[in-house]
Formats: sequence, C-alpha cells, structure tokens
Amino acid sequence: MTPWRLPQKSAAACWLRLAVICSILFCSLTQNSFAASAPKFVIGWSVYAGWNPFFYMAKSGILRRWADKYGIQIEVQRFDYAASLDAFVAKNIDACTMTNMEALDMPAASGVDSTAIILGDYSDGNDAVLTRSGLKLNQLSGKHVMLVQKTVSEYLLERALVLNGLQDEASRLKLVNTSDSDIAGAFLGNHSNQVVVTWKPLVSQILDQDKGVANIFDSSKIPGEIMDLLMVRTEVLHRQDGSGVKFAKAVTGAWYEAMAQMSGTGPGHERALNESAAASGDTPASYSEQLKTTHLFYTPKAATDFNDSAAFKQKMDLVRQFCFHHNLLGEGTQSVDDVAILYPDGSIQGKKDRVRFRFDSSYMHLAGQGKL
Amino acid sequence: MATSVLDPRNLVDIQARPKRSATQILSWVLFLASIALYAHFSSVRHRENSEDRIVPSAKQLVQGIQSSVFHPAEEDDDLDPGATRWQQIRHSMIWKDTVASGSRFFIAMALLVPAILLGLHMGIFPYFGAFFLRYVLFFDKIVALSLLPILFIVFGIDEWSKIMLMVIGVAPTLILDTCQITRAVPREQIVKAFTLKCSNLDVAYRVVFPQILPNVINSVRLSLKPLALFLFAGEMIASTDGLAYRIAIMRRHMGMDIIIPYLLWVALLLFGLDTLLRFLNRRLHPWL
Repeated sequence: MTPWRLPQKSAAACWLRLAVICSILFCSLTQNSFAASAPKFVIGWSVYAGWNPFFYMAKSGILRRWADKYGIQIEVQRFDYAASLDAFVAKNIDACTMTNMEALDMPAASGVDSTAIILGDYSDGNDAVLTRSGLKLNQLSGKHVMLVQKTVSEYLLERALVLNGLQDEASRLKLVNTSDSDIAGAFLGNHSNQVVVTWKPLVSQILDQDKGVANIFDSSKIPGEIMDLLMVRTEVLHRQDGSGVKFAKAVTGAWYEAMAQMSGTGPGHERALNESAAASGDTPASYSEQLKTTHLFYTPKAATDFNDSAAFKQKMDLVRQFCFHHNLLGEGTQSVDDVAILYPDGSIQGKKDRVRFRFDSSYMHLAGQGKL
Repeated sequence: MATSVLDPRNLVDIQARPKRSATQILSWVLFLASIALYAHFSSVRHRENSEDRIVPSAKQLVQGIQSSVFHPAEEDDDLDPGATRWQQIRHSMIWKDTVASGSRFFIAMALLVPAILLGLHMGIFPYFGAFFLRYVLFFDKIVALSLLPILFIVFGIDEWSKIMLMVIGVAPTLILDTCQITRAVPREQIVKAFTLKCSNLDVAYRVVFPQILPNVINSVRLSLKPLALFLFAGEMIASTDGLAYRIAIMRRHMGMDIIIPYLLWVALLLFGLDTLLRFLNRRLHPWL
C-alpha cells in the first residue's frame, strides 16, 4: 500500500468528510458582506468629444458635490465603446453613454428597458464619408467601402445614398467590415482603398495625412439623426427607495454645471476644455476642432426644445427603420414596432405593450428651471 | 482491489482500474455540468428579462441555428421559395462563411509545408542552420498581430494579409519545432546510412524525414489552435465574409443566438481536422 493513502475507513465516512469540507468552502465563497452605506451608481462612458465632459465632471469634483447633495455615491468608469454597451446590457453598470442607434439595437432590443435622461449632443459633421481621387457618391457602385458595419457609419452611408436618390446603389457596394482601431492605417496605407466611412478624430487624421482624400458627405447634412445620449436602466430610475431618481437628478445637475463651464469664458472654461481634451489624450486644439462638428446642447433648454419637438420623432423613425431592415433588432424580431419608443409627450412609436426605450426630458426640464 | 467509483479512496489510487462504464460516465460529467450551468444561467436571466440575448435560451439557439443554416446572409439575394433544402444550405450564411474561412485556413496550412521542409534542412544541414536559426529564433518572438498595419500595406486588405498573418504567426514556431525534432534523430543512424552508400539527399529525405514526420504532424495538430486564432483576429479586423466576420457583426447587436452556434461549429471543425490528422498519422505510421 502506498504510504500516503487515506486511512482505511468506511467509504461512507470518507464521503461525509468530503461533503462537510465542500459545504464549508461553498458557504465561505457565497457569503456576501452587505455594507450599509449610501447607494452607489456607476456610469460607463467611452472616448468621444461629446462624452469627454464626464471625465471632467468626475475629476473636477463637480459630480461628487452633486452626489453628496442627494446623499448618494456616483462612480464614473471609462470603457471601450463596445465593452461599455456589453456592460450596460449585462446590468453591470447603471448608466451608460451611447448613440440613439445603439440605445435602440443593444439594450432596448435585448429587452433591457432603458431611459434617455440627458440628450447631450448630436453629430454635426463628426461622421463622414471620405473618398480618394475625387470619387463622387454616384460613382461608388462596385467599390470596396471600409467601415465598421452595423454602426452609425453604415447609417450615414445609407442616408447619403438615399438623400441623393441613389438608394438602389446600396446593394452594389462591397462593404468591408474594418475595426476602428485599424481603419485609418489600413485606408492610408493602400491607395487601392478608395472609400472609407468613419468618425472623428479618425476623419481628421486621414484628411491631414493624405491631401488626395476628400469629405463628400458628413453628418452635418443629416443634423440631429445621430444623437449621443446618457441612458439609465429604467428599473434603476424606479427603485423603491427613490435613490434612482436622486441619481438622475444629481447627474443631470452635474452635467449642466459642466456644460455651463464648457460654453462660458473664464478660468473654469479653460480648465473644462483642457481636462475634457485630456480625457481622450487630445490636445485642446484638436478637441476644439472636434467640438466644432459636435452640436453640444450647452443649456437644458436647447436640449429639451429638440427632444420635445415633432421633428425628433421623425429622426428616430429613420433610425429605427434602419435598425429593423438590417436585422439589428434581432433575428427573431418580426416587426419594427416590437421595440417601441416612448417620447416625452407620452406618444409611443410602436406597440404600446412593448415600450423598451424611453425619452424622459423631465430631468433636463428641472435643470432648466433651476430646481435640481 | 476495490474498483468502485463510490469509494473515495480510489480517487487517489494510482493503480485503480475503473470499469469501462465508469470511464464513459466520468468523461461526460463535465459536459453535462457545463450544459446544466448554462441552462441555469439562461433561465435565471430569462426569468428576469424574457428577451435576454446575452445567454440565449434553447429556443433562441434553435432559431439562431435555423437562420444561420437555412437563411442567406442579409446582403445576398433571397432564393426563390421553391428551393430545396440542399440549395438553401448552399446559400446559407454559415456555408458562405465556412467556405471563405476554410479556404484561407487551408491556403495557410499549405504554406506551412515549405516551413516544415525548411526546419528539416536547418536541423540536418549545418550551413542552413547557421544561416537561418538565429533569425528564426528571433522572428518567432515577434507578436505577429502587431505587424498587421504593415501587412495591410504590403498585402492589401483582401485575402493575403489574413493568410500571411496566419503564416507569420505560426510558421516560425513550426520551423523551430521541426528543427528540434530533426536534431533528435540519433546520429548513429545517419552515419550508418552513409556507410550504406546513401547520398546527402537520401539521408535527409529517405532516412530522417520519414522518422520525423509523425512528430511533425503532431506539431501541426498543436498549431491548429493558433492558426484559428490568427484567422479570427484577421477576419475581425477587416473582411467582407468569414466565420469571425459574422461573429464580429453579430456582436454589434448582441446576437449571441448566432455567435454560440458559430463557436461550437468552429470547435467541431477544428476537432474534426485534428482527428483527421491523428487518423492520418496512425495510417501512415502504424508502428507508433
């Protein structure tokens, strides 16, 4: 017999011992410590001209001050864009910055009921279709187009064709799905690549490095269709203890304090711009250049005027039709109305019992009235 | 000696001889546990949100499999409704993606043959070794993925940049491994072959090569996974079709109902290829 063998006991006794050890381990692993402190909320954000102010809000202490006022804790966490969406849909974070298109096809289409509480900006030229050698929109047929497929880039391209009466060309393009981390290098490196659709700061990089490339269509021609939102899960807003509402109020208050500094002049202005630029590793000059093509709503009134307008619903309708036609609402979704949108005036786009995406401008209204 | 699985003392008995039935059952336990764990997570998430797409339910998975096997990728034209099942499958997105990825994979594998021959030469001809070995040793340590922007410039964004990424990623390791295996062939045999009037090439290709082949095939089998990894990396970064392309697109809207069947399909394909190579090895070298 090998010397290290277990002592000879009955099989039953051995099993009993194993079971006890396992259960002790299990209990110690699953035991949670519940710290009784202020409720904590996590906002995920990713690098983008219109979202960098979140970094400034957290770093400057503005957010901390507003959180303390409402007796909660707010943490701001930076993600890659795709990862932030994954985390939001998986309910690991409570709020997240995203475009209206992703808000529709990621959380809303996955059944995670979400609410847009801040309408931060819309892309006013940040996204662009670039071509080499003077190629025009009506000459793209059969050409390879580099872009990140199923994102606002593809939406922009399709809108460009539709607005120029070329919608039949869409099926004749050869789309090359190219990761945004490599798209600028891959396009610039090889002159046989003729068309690329991407966003800033990549657009500026490409235009700076190759003078033979021209911007033939950008999002300033479809103002307000590509919006950047702060989404909060609706169940978080409706928490029994009311902490979700406090969270929404605190974030909105902090956001417009930061916006006032971004738009105003004086020492606060300088610092807000510099730190927002630093959030994405940009120089203040290049950040200002990006802000020129980002239509930031600096005041709550500007945002609510747009959010509550009739044109707003038409723009969202274009986006939801695009998502549905590209299967972005899920393979099994039979109708565009299965993912319904609720607007601030109470009207619903889609089926009444399937509201998944809500625009709630009430927090922005409170900010405008100075009631936060 | 007790051989029952019910006696925990057998767990630490080197000389235990589990029954055939016990071996069979034990080998499936982890599979079942994984499926059970998945089903549990899926049902928990679906109880909370009936439209959850992150951990799709069995029903969603079946739908996903159906649409990937019978439906064309959205950008393609739809077939006429009278098409047979077989025609549907031939036009489905999984078929199209598998053909695209498979051709890249096999071209890359074919390009590994010269790499194996180079390894053989390096191991057996001292001048080859002197010329190549240090360089390949160094080149092997370069992380091929970081070369991708250069590959795009040299080979374009079409097929060749992806194929070369796979070759550059896998070939150096395979060359070094073949070289090692070659050097492990006993010197006495080579001397003996020369005394029997073998030429240099005879020794290389008729004495050494058949001996190293079984180990080289095993080495290729171990390279399948890195090959697939590089293929996926290339396809996710820039492509118009392929298995990883579809996964990258599906990730844009959390289409896990397609992604999970795709991953299982890729695993099955790799497993099949591995089995094929193992079978080939047995047939070619029955003495092993």
